[in-house]
Parts: sequence; structure tokens; C-alpha cells
Amino acid sequence: MVIFCHNSYAQNDLLFEAQKLCNEKKYDLAIPMLEKVIVHPETKNDPASWHIRSFAYLQTYKLAGAGNTSKINLLDTALSSALISIKLDTAKNYLDNNIAFVKNGAASYYKISTILLQDSINNMKSELYYNKYKKYTAIINPGFDFKEKDIEYYKTTGSIYADLYMKNNFYQKYGDIAKTSLLKVLELDPKNINANVNLGVLYYNQGVTLMKMMEYDVDLAQLDVIQENAKKLFKQSLPFMIKVYEQDPKAEKVLESLEGIYSALMDDKKANEFKQKKEALSKP
Amino acid sequence: MAFSSLGFQQIQNYDTNSKLKAAYLFNFTRNFEWPEKMKTGSFIIQLVGNNPNLSSELNKMASTKQVGSQKLEIRTTTSIESSIQPHIIFLLNESSDLLKEASSKYKGKGSLIVTEKAGLAKSGATINFIAVDNKLKFEYSNNNAKKAGLKTSEVLKGLAIAVD
Repeated sequence: MVIFCHNSYAQNDLLFEAQKLCNEKKYDLAIPMLEKVIVHPETKNDPASWHIRSFAYLQTYKLAGAGNTSKINLLDTALSSALISIKLDTAKNYLDNNIAFVKNGAASYYKISTILLQDSINNMKSELYYNKYKKYTAIINPGFDFKEKDIEYYKTTGSIYADLYMKNNFYQKYGDIAKTSLLKVLELDPKNINANVNLGVLYYNQGVTLMKMMEYDVDLAQLDVIQENAKKLFKQSLPFMIKVYEQDPKAEKVLESLEGIYSALMDDKKANEFKQKKEALSKP
Repeated sequence: MAFSSLGFQQIQNYDTNSKLKAAYLFNFTRNFEWPEKMKTGSFIIQLVGNNPNLSSELNKMASTKQVGSQKLEIRTTTSIESSIQPHIIFLLNESSDLLKEASSKYKGKGSLIVTEKAGLAKSGATINFIAVDNKLKFEYSNNNAKKAGLKTSEVLKGLAIAVD
């Protein structure tokens, strides 16, 4: 329930009526009135006008169902209205509520960004809304450190798309999105185990996929080209796995991956070294 | 409001080296010319030694490919067998000791001897797989090809590491 200061807009019937309708939860009727209120000379500079408008749009958005991306313009309007209200509200009568609206809206953007991540055709929209979450959060909390959130967001994006890449017959686009996201994680946290492992696996799997897809009757020259490209991918996977190995030399999955990478790189000595290290883990 | 991160991805369990060897072996069928008497019946690739991944890859290849009009047949053995007259005999690393026996038995009979141990192209094999700069390459002995009664394409000669 939003708190309104009646005194500041009681002179204006339209604004008063809109407020009344909002209190009755008749937002669909209130919004057309509020659109007139925000352009009317008497009320357009009243922080209450924008505040109520923000409230009405926010509630309408919520009624449409959380995560309803087709109604996202309602959320955009709600938040921009709250910001205008904050700017006009020199007496700070609505400040707490406006901040709450922006916080609420920012949280909704974050929620939508996570929902869209599950939808493989919408990762760009997901990032767009994640950035909106950051933008509005930064406005109300300028000192907020986004590092952990960014790591979490891009790590999750990377994991989801690496998974999609595997499940969709190694569709290149998904692999590329995963790589870009995981590299962003490493920019923020170079030792991040999840990102290093998943990047190492991604590059390795891309190399393996090249080999898998190669026809048996590929001609000799082309065979050499495919092998060269696969080799580059195997080599790219190596530093990520090594970085994890240096942090956790007893991680079985990493030892197994290193065995696979070195084997693909025809380095039997190193492949065997990691094979033995992996086998030593199960010895008492 | 945090959302859960997925876990670690899994590496694909796939032997890329076996795929490469299979593709090379199939290429050899097109880059060598076998004597007329070997151009009927099945085209036999004999694998001597134990490499289940390679064996599986070759059998998969044989189920989809043939050599000209010849059906591709894969035989896996642990020794040189007199009952088999292979077009290609691949002595795996563990079977390298059989090279001398193989070169003697198949001299002039149109069998391409393939090995995968350093130096064997100079000791009787026509083709020897080696790792060079993290890639699978092959050495080629023109002398051994001639001794085996095989003609070699210029393309293969151009891409091989010649040992003689």
C-alpha cells in the first residue's frame, strides 16, 4: 500500500481521483488519468503525480505476473516515474517510498534477467535487464559493489550456455556465449574455479567436436587443417585446467580433464602423469 | 534473490587419436594402389594389438564406408596370422616387435604395413605414425612401399615425412 500526502495534490481533482482508484486497486482506470496529470501545468511538477504514477505502473506490472517480459515497459515507466518524483521531491515527502519502488523494480529486473537466462534465444535481453538492475541499484545505492553479483550472473550464464552447447549438438553460438560470459567472470575473479573448469571443458569439447564431426574420407590436406584447429582448442583449454589444478591438485575431475587434454595433444608422458595422479587418489 | 549456479561441465569421453588414425587409414586406401589381385573381395584392415577405441572407430567406419567397390572389413588380432591377407596391417605400439615378421611375410604381396613407434619406418614399415608438435603425422618410406608392391600417390608423398 502506497502512502500519499493528500495535501499536496488535493487541489487537483484528477490526481485525487487517480489516487482513489489506486487505493481501490483499479490501476487500469487510474493510469489514463495519471497520464493527463503528468502533463498538466498544475500537476506536472508535483512529485506526488509521478510518485502515484510509479505506484500504479508498478502494481499493474506485478498484476501481469512476475517475470512477464511482454509487460516490461510498465516497469520501465514505473521506475523512470519514481526517479522523476525523487528529483522533484525537494521536501523528501515521498523519498522512502520512491526508493522502495526503485529497489522493487531493480529486483524485478534481476528476476527477469535470471528467467530469460533459461530461454536460449533471449540471453541478450537477459543481459539488458541485468544491466537495468545494476543501473537502478546504483542510483539508489551509489556505493554498491557489483563484483559478486557480476560473478554470479556471468558464471550462471556461462554454465547454462555451456550446458546448452552440450545438449544442442555443440551449437557454436551457445559455446561462444558461454565462453564470453566465463571470460567476464575471470576478468573479475581470475582464480574462479567454476569458470576456469567450465572454460577448459568448453575449449576441449569444441576440439573434440571438430574431430567427431570430421568425415572418415576427408582428404589429407583438410584432415591436417581440422587437426590443427582442434589442437589450438586443446591448447586453449590447458591453461584454465592448469590454473584449477594449481589450486586443487587433488580434484579428480581436473586430473581426468588434464589427462584427456594431454592425450588429445599427443603428449602421452603428461597424459600418463595425470592418469597416475588420478589413480593415486583412490589408493588408501 | 540469488539464483543457483549450475555445476561443472563434463568433458566428452572421446578418443580423438583413434578417430584421426581411422581417418588416416581410410585416406591411405585412396592414396596407395594395390596390386590387381587385391582388388576383389573385401578390403581388409588388420589391427594387431589391443586398442578397443580404435577397433570400435574402425568398425564404425567400415559400417559406412567402402573402398571403391570393395567392402571394408576390420580384423583385430594379437599376432600375424597366415589366414589373413590384409590390405593394411596396423601394428599397434605393443605389437611393434612383430614388424620384422610382418615385413618378411608380406614382402611383395601388396600389404601396407603401418606402425606407431619411433623409427619403424626405417625398419620395415611403409607408414609410421608419430606425434609432431602436438599433432599426429606420418612418416613414409618409399623403399618399403615398393618392397610391398604398392604404388603411392604424389599427394601422400607431398604430405608425408619422408624417411628415404
